[in-house]
Amino acid sequence: MLLSHPTIGRLVLSAAVTCGLAVPSYAEDILIGVATAQTGGLAPYDQPSLAGFRMAIDELNAKGGLGGKYTAKLAIKDTRTDTAATITAVQELVDAGASIILTPCDADATIAAGQITVAKRIPTLTFCGTAPVLATAVGDNLFGTYPGDNLQATVIADHAYAKGFRKAYLLVSPDSSYTAQLPEYFAEVFKKKGGTILGTGSFTMGQPDFSAIVTAIKALPEQPDLIMTAAYEPDFPAFIQQLRAAGVTTTVYGADAIGTGTVQGLGKLVDGTVYSAAGYPTPGGALEAFNKRFETTTGHAAESAYEANGYEIGLILDAAVKAAGSTDPVKLRDAIAGLDKLPIVTGTITYAGTNGMPVRAVSLIEYKDGKPVFIATQTPAAADVPAPAH
Amino acid sequence: MLLQQVINAISLGGIYALLALGLAIVFSITGLINFAHGELMTLSGYALLAALMMGMPLLPAAVTAVAAGALAAVAMERVAFRPMRGASVTSLLLTSFAVSNLLKVVFQNAISARGKPIAMPDWMAGVVPIGSFTIGVGPLMSIAVSALALLGLELFLRRTVMGAAMRAAAQDFNTLRLVGISANRVIAVAFLLSGVLAGIASLLWIAQRASVDPMMGFVPVLKAFIATVIGGLGSLSGAVAGGMLLGVMEVALQALLPPSLAPYRDALVLSGIIVVLLVRPNGLIPAVDTARS
Repeated sequence: MLLSHPTIGRLVLSAAVTCGLAVPSYAEDILIGVATAQTGGLAPYDQPSLAGFRMAIDELNAKGGLGGKYTAKLAIKDTRTDTAATITAVQELVDAGASIILTPCDADATIAAGQITVAKRIPTLTFCGTAPVLATAVGDNLFGTYPGDNLQATVIADHAYAKGFRKAYLLVSPDSSYTAQLPEYFAEVFKKKGGTILGTGSFTMGQPDFSAIVTAIKALPEQPDLIMTAAYEPDFPAFIQQLRAAGVTTTVYGADAIGTGTVQGLGKLVDGTVYSAAGYPTPGGALEAFNKRFETTTGHAAESAYEANGYEIGLILDAAVKAAGSTDPVKLRDAIAGLDKLPIVTGTITYAGTNGMPVRAVSLIEYKDGKPVFIATQTPAAADVPAPAH
Repeated sequence: MLLQQVINAISLGGIYALLALGLAIVFSITGLINFAHGELMTLSGYALLAALMMGMPLLPAAVTAVAAGALAAVAMERVAFRPMRGASVTSLLLTSFAVSNLLKVVFQNAISARGKPIAMPDWMAGVVPIGSFTIGVGPLMSIAVSALALLGLELFLRRTVMGAAMRAAAQDFNTLRLVGISANRVIAVAFLLSGVLAGIASLLWIAQRASVDPMMGFVPVLKAFIATVIGGLGSLSGAVAGGMLLGVMEVALQALLPPSLAPYRDALVLSGIIVVLLVRPNGLIPAVDTARS
């Protein structure tokens, strides 16, 4: 394949940074360090996020740069879904003078990156990491961009209860805060409303065999109305395949990480599965318009809400640079922390008065006949959202 | 419930046994632990996906997938491992890691970093009622396929000249060459068989997880490696025993551990393996020539 000029440019840029050379940063430039997983297990989430983010930066640069003033230069590094590689990449980007750092769709990698950026309080934004403890775990320079685990879980639990479900079974994995905590937040809200949790199953991420868990669910003295899990690929397809193969027809609910083409492609297996997302492309809506523009620009269709979320990060940074009027990391951090009801593709986003996890709407979507069907978009009352667990 | 868990354990153990055998066949002859074995599975998975997308029925598509795994294994030997023949065990090991990582990146960039769903036919999600129990068709088929594959391999090794040559090669490769058997052929057939086993294991693996992704091979090859070590490196019957034991241990602990201890399952399985190795340092059924391990 012939490489296009922009691709060669990017390669040279990343090669320059890899070799430890500082990318020359001119007075009117702002260097954004992107240390995300373009290969490995997080690639299904980080690749679309980066594609959306790049589109935003290209558009903003065409209009004169971030805040209409500073041309954004991207230094992109692949962290290969490896925490040690993330740390190395972030250190190199900080040394190269990045004013802003973007990190993978994962709390653990983001927290590791935050350990490096916290000293200079460089604003560090995760692509779509959803652990609500990001800022409290490291420092106030860390920001989530996607709806937090507790926010998503609240909306899912509200919906499950309203649908008449009263008995739930949780499937968790202690391997990540997302797979461990999100179902627990769900349980907290669900129980407060009057629901009961019949049991909890635990799996290891990447585990091939769910038969023992499925057998345990079948043997429960009382069958649950639904199974709640934050498992994603490849665990979610494996679990639901083996669950259905064992003849269990209980509805399974998940969260944003199953809003992917792979899970949709499971067809009948996921019929009735409800999940959350930052938005849904309702006909005539802003997200649908964005997805069309994304397809025209990049040549391939947006597969999820992650492309839009990546694009929205560009809008957040643009607004922050405009407010700060500077590329100084600390001023930028303060500017992001002060954003209030900033219009983005899927609605508005607010950081003012939060601990770094934004307030924004959550959409609920159900798979029906192999297609995602929109249910509702909700912003839960703050009092209903469980406090971040430590 | 007990019966169901027993079937679960045999089904998982069978897949591990197939995987471990694939590693053991190559190791017994070349001294190479092929960590790219998992990528042969991934490749078979993509071949299955491609065949199904071209409209092939399941059975021919499955045959295509296994054939793709076998051919890829032979190609891998020819391109990556033959030039390294005679190199130290460490060099071979590193080469296999390199091949494994290279293939993963190729899959990610040439196909997709995202998993591709493979819809299994409805009948595989069916159940067979046995008295008051229901047993899934999937696990039963998995057991049947594993058993047939193991039987087929046993017949090949016992009843054919090439099989005898391979058993001899595992014991003393140099003597075998002195009696005029081509080393290249024996090694190529070993890789071919390991590719066939990877292909079959891949089908069973995919039937359980309903998707194929670039990283798919990592966990299975790790399990296979553990199984071959418990069974005795280089011993074929040991690989089967090790795979079965690993499957049984995993399912038993998953079924028996209380939820509060469930996160320690893998740690307990690995501790169990340490105990096995303390009692039998060369594995359950040590290879005839243990010098290599």
